Amino acid sequence: MEIIEKALKQGRATLSEYESKQVLASYGIPVTREFMAAGAEDLIKAASEIGYPLVLKGCSPAIAHKTEKNLIRVDIRNEDEAKAGFEEISAHIGAEDSILVQEMVKGQRELVIGLTRDPQFGPCVMFGLGGIFTEILKDISFRVAPLEERDAMEMMKEIRGAKIMEGVRGMEPADLDAFSSILIKVGQIGLENEQIKEIDMNPVIISGSRPVAVDALVVLDGQTEEGEPQGPK
Amino acid sequence: MKEFFYPSKMAVFGVAANPRNLARNIISNSLKMGFKGEIFPVGREPGLVHGRRIITSPESLPEGIDLAVILVPARFVADTLELCGQKGILHAVISTGGFSEFERYNNRDEQEMLRVAGQYGIRFIGPNCIGVICTESGLCTPFNPMGAERFMNGPIGLIVQSGGVTTQAAYHFSEEHVGFSKIISAGNKLDLNETDFLRYLMEDEETKQIHMYLESIDDGRELMRLVRASSKPIVLFKSNVTRTASEIAYSHTAALSNNDLIVEGALRQSGVVRVQSLHQMTVAARAFQLPPLRGNRLAVISLSGGFSVILGDACEQYGFECPPLPSELMNKIEGFRRAGVIRMSNPMDFGDVHDIRALAFTLEHCLKLDHIDAVVLSFMYEPQMARLFGKGVGTSEQILSFVGKLCKDTGKPIALSFFAERKFIEGFKSLSTFPVFNDPVESVKGLALLWDYWRGREGTRGLKNR
Repeated sequence: MEIIEKALKQGRATLSEYESKQVLASYGIPVTREFMAAGAEDLIKAASEIGYPLVLKGCSPAIAHKTEKNLIRVDIRNEDEAKAGFEEISAHIGAEDSILVQEMVKGQRELVIGLTRDPQFGPCVMFGLGGIFTEILKDISFRVAPLEERDAMEMMKEIRGAKIMEGVRGMEPADLDAFSSILIKVGQIGLENEQIKEIDMNPVIISGSRPVAVDALVVLDGQTEEGEPQGPK
Repeated sequence: MKEFFYPSKMAVFGVAANPRNLARNIISNSLKMGFKGEIFPVGREPGLVHGRRIITSPESLPEGIDLAVILVPARFVADTLELCGQKGILHAVISTGGFSEFERYNNRDEQEMLRVAGQYGIRFIGPNCIGVICTESGLCTPFNPMGAERFMNGPIGLIVQSGGVTTQAAYHFSEEHVGFSKIISAGNKLDLNETDFLRYLMEDEETKQIHMYLESIDDGRELMRLVRASSKPIVLFKSNVTRTASEIAYSHTAALSNNDLIVEGALRQSGVVRVQSLHQMTVAARAFQLPPLRGNRLAVISLSGGFSVILGDACEQYGFECPPLPSELMNKIEGFRRAGVIRMSNPMDFGDVHDIRALAFTLEHCLKLDHIDAVVLSFMYEPQMARLFGKGVGTSEQILSFVGKLCKDTGKPIALSFFAERKFIEGFKSLSTFPVFNDPVESVKGLALLWDYWRGREGTRGLKNR
């Protein structure tokens, strides 16, 4: 895949959020609508494409923990707020970094979906409670790729918090088929792209009943076939 | 692979006449189990061991030896293998320890051993293991003294990473009257590993179920592929799941820990039944002697109100349902009551029904119900019960054959247990004609393991879990 080749050539170990989502979207995984903005003109254009409210995120391959670094502005409701947020974030990022203008996905339920490579089992797909609960509760389950639909359905039932997928507190039940299809596709990405070491989609928000990957990170394995680390060329 | 279990001639390296010598136990264990093949002890000093002369010049060993069991110091293992190679002995159990589990990197003895084995095409089990116990051939290669004459033949093949657990498995499977066909102590798995042994046991006619104790899984994807292809149930006790265990596991069998959540997912995905102890392996072994379990809906019958309550909890905790039974059937069953003081529901309290016809009627009709997948039967037993219950079910043999026949006729499992004095329960178990669990809750656990298996089978794929 071109995005991956390019990143590896640049000696990078990760894809940016924007690039990561492009990889996921190319497999049909639902991600947020978003544009990269280098300046105010891009920003206004993107905002009118997507519509308010918006999210702004500082975006570069070097930035993994955007929240901790204060590089996210959410619930931006108009052009003035957008411009102010843009300037604030710009002050904290490098000259060549851009800002991601993103639709704001509404939903109270956050899940995590990921890919990891196990030395004994190969590419494995992860599912679990997302957001801060991923770290706190570690309520996750795994299946080895390739996944059948049954595997995907079972792994969603297996977590302790499986009820989150049901119609709790007047919310719509999650679209299990849509989730299942994401899990299967993540496994497929792992099988088809040796250079992808990890994928972390967190959170995947249930918007209405549909899953949307709101943040995503693809980690690359910069090893050549001979096992030598691949540096910048 | 057959040579590892049914050698016609076996050479044991590292034997001495000294009573404290360990390799001599390899010979005595095999003799105790009735091994019929020829045994050739090889050592440095002349002497007699169990009536056999120790061979000090290995060149004089006869041709046609199938198996070498090697218990010499680590630095001599490669030389011993060299000798085996020259003599055309292409299968070895390497019991010696002190390889990568002891010295992790650049272990020269280990490299040399691998080189010689590769040169001659010798396949070996171990190192750092106790080899093979085969109840059919009588081969028993552990070097620790064992009560090998008490090992019981049975349909279970075991692959065990640790020698101590191998020993205990041999005793426990025998004492639980389950028995085993073969146990392989795999040790460091430097050449042959669990997937090789699994492949063999899947083909082995003496083996109907395969049980494994593993501290590490070496090739997860191949293991999954084999399990899916296996027509025999596969049970796994996987240890080394905590940080505390991982260091000791490495120095024990050079086992690297796996991510247990991934292991858990992979096992469910491929249909391996996971257990948490050696004893649970025997519970699974019993359960797999029952007919297939096609769903999770149970009818529960106990001759005690208390055990009905305990069983109700156990069923729900293990993920089973006890659906209501048709009222017509309930009315008929209630008609058999003596005092008429107990209401029937599911679980059923048979506390005041002391009539074998009532029990037979209930069992049969419950098993025939479309919405019941299995019956849990917890029986009170005392030899004088025959008087209460009427003719034909007095003896233990009669009770088991009565339940066994119902099971067979209906093709549905009956999870049978007794509340009785331990000696009577042991008596039932020792008959081995029909699986008897140690107590009521264990019988439900048995069904849970059976359901883990059948739920995961290919044939049931696509069916929604009920």
